[in-house]
Amino acid sequence: MKKFLSIGFLLWCIFSCEKQDLLKQGTLVIGIEGNPTNLDPRLATDAYSMRIDSLIFNGLTRPDENGEPTPDLAERWEMPDNRTYIFYLRKGVTFHDGSKFTSTDVLSTFESLRDPGFGSPLVTTFELVEKMSAQDPYTLRIRLREPHAPFLSQLSVGIVQKDIAQKIIGTGPFRLVRFSPGSSVVLSANEKYFRGSPRLKGVIFKIVPNDLTRILELRKGSIHFLQNNIPPDSVDDLEHNPALAVLKRPGASYAYLGFNLEDPLLKNRLVRRAIAHSINREEIISHVLRGLATPATGLLPSFHWAYEGDVERYPYDPEKARKLLDQSGYPSRSNGPRMRLSYKTSVSPLSKRIAEVLLHQIEGVGIACDMRSYEWGTFFSDIKSGNFQLFTLLWVGVVDPDHFYYAFHSSSFPPRGANRVRYRNPELDGLLEKGRRTLAKEKRREIYSRAQKIIARDLPYVSLWHLYDVVAMRKELKGFVIYPGGEFYSLENAWLEHR
Amino acid sequence: MKRFIFKRFLLAIPVIVGVSTLVFLLIHMIPGNPVEVMLGERALPADAERLRNELGLDRPLSIQYLNFLSGLARGNMGVSFFYRKPVLPAILERYPATLELTAASMCLALIIALPLGLLSARRPYSSTDRLSMLFSLFGATMPSFWLGPLLILIFAIHFDWLPVSGRENALSLILPSVTLGLGLSAILSRMIRSGLLEVLDQGYITAARARGAGESKVFLLHALRNALIPLITILGIQFGALLSGAIVTETIFSWPGIGRLLVQAIEARDYPLVQGCVLVIAISYIIVNLAVDILYAVVDPRVRYEK
Repeated sequence: MKKFLSIGFLLWCIFSCEKQDLLKQGTLVIGIEGNPTNLDPRLATDAYSMRIDSLIFNGLTRPDENGEPTPDLAERWEMPDNRTYIFYLRKGVTFHDGSKFTSTDVLSTFESLRDPGFGSPLVTTFELVEKMSAQDPYTLRIRLREPHAPFLSQLSVGIVQKDIAQKIIGTGPFRLVRFSPGSSVVLSANEKYFRGSPRLKGVIFKIVPNDLTRILELRKGSIHFLQNNIPPDSVDDLEHNPALAVLKRPGASYAYLGFNLEDPLLKNRLVRRAIAHSINREEIISHVLRGLATPATGLLPSFHWAYEGDVERYPYDPEKARKLLDQSGYPSRSNGPRMRLSYKTSVSPLSKRIAEVLLHQIEGVGIACDMRSYEWGTFFSDIKSGNFQLFTLLWVGVVDPDHFYYAFHSSSFPPRGANRVRYRNPELDGLLEKGRRTLAKEKRREIYSRAQKIIARDLPYVSLWHLYDVVAMRKELKGFVIYPGGEFYSLENAWLEHR
Repeated sequence: MKRFIFKRFLLAIPVIVGVSTLVFLLIHMIPGNPVEVMLGERALPADAERLRNELGLDRPLSIQYLNFLSGLARGNMGVSFFYRKPVLPAILERYPATLELTAASMCLALIIALPLGLLSARRPYSSTDRLSMLFSLFGATMPSFWLGPLLILIFAIHFDWLPVSGRENALSLILPSVTLGLGLSAILSRMIRSGLLEVLDQGYITAARARGAGESKVFLLHALRNALIPLITILGIQFGALLSGAIVTETIFSWPGIGRLLVQAIEARDYPLVQGCVLVIAISYIIVNLAVDILYAVVDPRVRYEK
C-alpha cells in the first residue's frame, strides 16, 4: 500500500511539474476553441487552421498589422501593366525538410488552387489567373484575365512543397511536430527560418471548446495565451490577475443585423429605418459586451484607409421609429403589435443574449419579434437560401474593401457570393465593379466612399458594432502584436521574459 | 453459447443496415451542404458543381446510398470531406479516448455504488441508508455542466492537484470520469439496494442463514449475485449511452472523444464522417449488448442459450 501511494505521489509530482515548466522551457500554450480540420493551407476552411498555418507556412505576400500586403516569400514584385505581376522570390529559403524553395513550388500550389476538383475555397480567386509561368527558379510571372485590386492580399495563402501533397511542410517559423485531432497541435521552432530562428522554442495550440474551461486554464497557467475567444464577462477578472496582461484594441470584426430585402414587410425602407432607430447599440455594448466594441456606421472600421464616416446614421430614437412605422402604414394597434417578424440566430450563448436584448428593443416600438436559434449548419443554410426575415452575423477580418462586392453586389446572391440580404442597386454594382478593377488607392477610396454612402442610405444591414480584438496572455510574453485577421505572425519575433 | 453468439452477430447485420439507412437519410434531409462549406460563398456555380461531382453528391440519393452500402460491405466508410482522410482512421483516433472515459466512469461508478448499495440494503431505513440515498439523489440530479466546472474549480484551481482539461496523462482522466461516474453511481447504488432488498426476502437466503452462513457470505455470495442481473442490464445500457452521450462532459474537459467529433461533423455536414461515427457507436452498442447477454449466463447459471 505504501509503495503504491509513493508511486502515485511521484507520478503526480512529475505530471504537475511538467505543466508549470512549459513556459520556462520557452514553449507557449495557446488556447483555441475549435478543432482545426485541415492544416493544408490550400484547403483550410476554418479560422483555426488558417491561423495555425500562419506560423507553419509563408505566402508570397503577408498582411501587415493594418492588413496591407507586404513581401513575404516574394521579396518584391513589379507590375508591367495592370494585369501582369512579376514576383521576385527570396533566395536561400528552405522547407522544413531541408529542400529548397523555388518558383515550381509556387506554381504547383497555385495549380492545385485553380483546380475545382481539388476543392479549395480559393478556387474563384485563382480562376482569375490567365497564365502563370516560372521564368527562372526565383522569378514568377502571373497574368490575370482582368485587373483585380485585392489579388496581392489573396496571395498570402501558404506555399506548400511540390510533390509532397499530403505532408504539412512549409517554410514558416515553426514546424509541425504533432497534430492530435480534438486535442492539440504541437509546433517547434524552425531554426533555419529565413528571417532567423524564432526565440520561442515551440507553440502548442490546445483545443478547449468550453469558454469557462478556457478561462480557468488561463488562470491556472496551463494555457498562456487567448485571443478573441474570451467571454466579455471574464475580461475584467482577467485584467485584475497579476500574472496576466490584457491587450484590447478596436478591431475589424463587424456585427450587423441583416434584413431580407425580398420580404414584403422589409422591402419597405421606412420599416428598416424604424428598426434601425429602435436599436440602442450603446446599451448592448455597455451591458452585454462590457464595453468591448465600438458602434459601427458601416462595414469598415474607422481606422481603415477606405472608411467613410460621413454617411447616414441611425441613432437610438424610439419616438422617430414609431413615427416611421406610422408613415409606412403600420400604425400602433390597441389589440396587438404593428407587425410580426422572426429573427434567426445561432445557438451560441453570446449571440442569444444579444438577440434577447435586441428583440426587446425592437418590441419597444411595437414590432413583435420571435427569436429562433438553430445549430450553425442549419442557421447558415437558412440565411444563404433566403429563408429568414432578420438575422445577425459577424464579418471577421475584412481587409480589402472589395468585400463590398462579395456582400452587396447583385451578382453575389448565394451560392455565388454573400449578398445574403438580396440587395440590388445598379448604381452600387457599377461602383463595386469599378472598385475592384482600379488599382490606385486614392481612386479606390473615392469609389468606396460613394459606395458606403449608398449602402448606409439604402440600409440592407443595420450596422451594429465593431468588436474589440482582445488578447489575454501571460506577462512573460513580449513582442506580440495583434493582426486584424487574428493571425499569429508576430510570434516569430515574440519572446518570453522570465522575472 | 458459440451458436448464440454467431446468431447474435447475424442479427446485428439488419440492425447496422437499418441504422445506417436512417442516418444516411437524416443527414441528407437536413438543410446545408458540404460543398458550400468547403468552397465558401465566393464559389462559382461551375466550381461547386465540379466538386459536387468529385464528391459524388450530384448522383441520385439512391445511387449514393448504394455506393455507401457497397463501400461499407468492403469495410470502407468513405473519406471525410473536411479532414480529407479515410473516415475509419479519423474515428479510431478518437475512439480510445471515448472508451477510456467510459470505462473509467463505469469503474468509478461501481466502486462508489457497490458499497453504498450494500450498506443501504444491509440496514434499510437506517441513517446510513438515508445518507447514502441522499447522496444518490444528489448524484442523480447534478447536471454535468454544473458539476464539471465545480470540480475543476475545487481540484484544479483551488488545490491545484489536477489538470483543468485535456487528455495528457492519467491525472487528466480523474475529473471527467468523476463528473460522469457520480451521476451513474447514484443510479447504480439505488439499483443495488432495491435488488438486494428484493432478494433478501427470498427463501434461499433464509435457508442460507439457517445453514449457519455468515452475514457477509449471505450478502456477497447468495444475495448480491442474484441482484446483479438488473445491475448488468443498466450497466450495459449506460455503457452504450456514455459512448455517444458524453458530449457535454467531453466539451467541458476538452476530451477528444467521438461525441465531439460527431457534433463537429454534423455542423460541417461531413456526411461520411457522420455516418461513420453513428455506425461505430451502433456497433459498440451491439457488442456491449451481446456482452451483457453473455454475462447474464455467467452470473446466473439458470440462463442458458443452448437448446
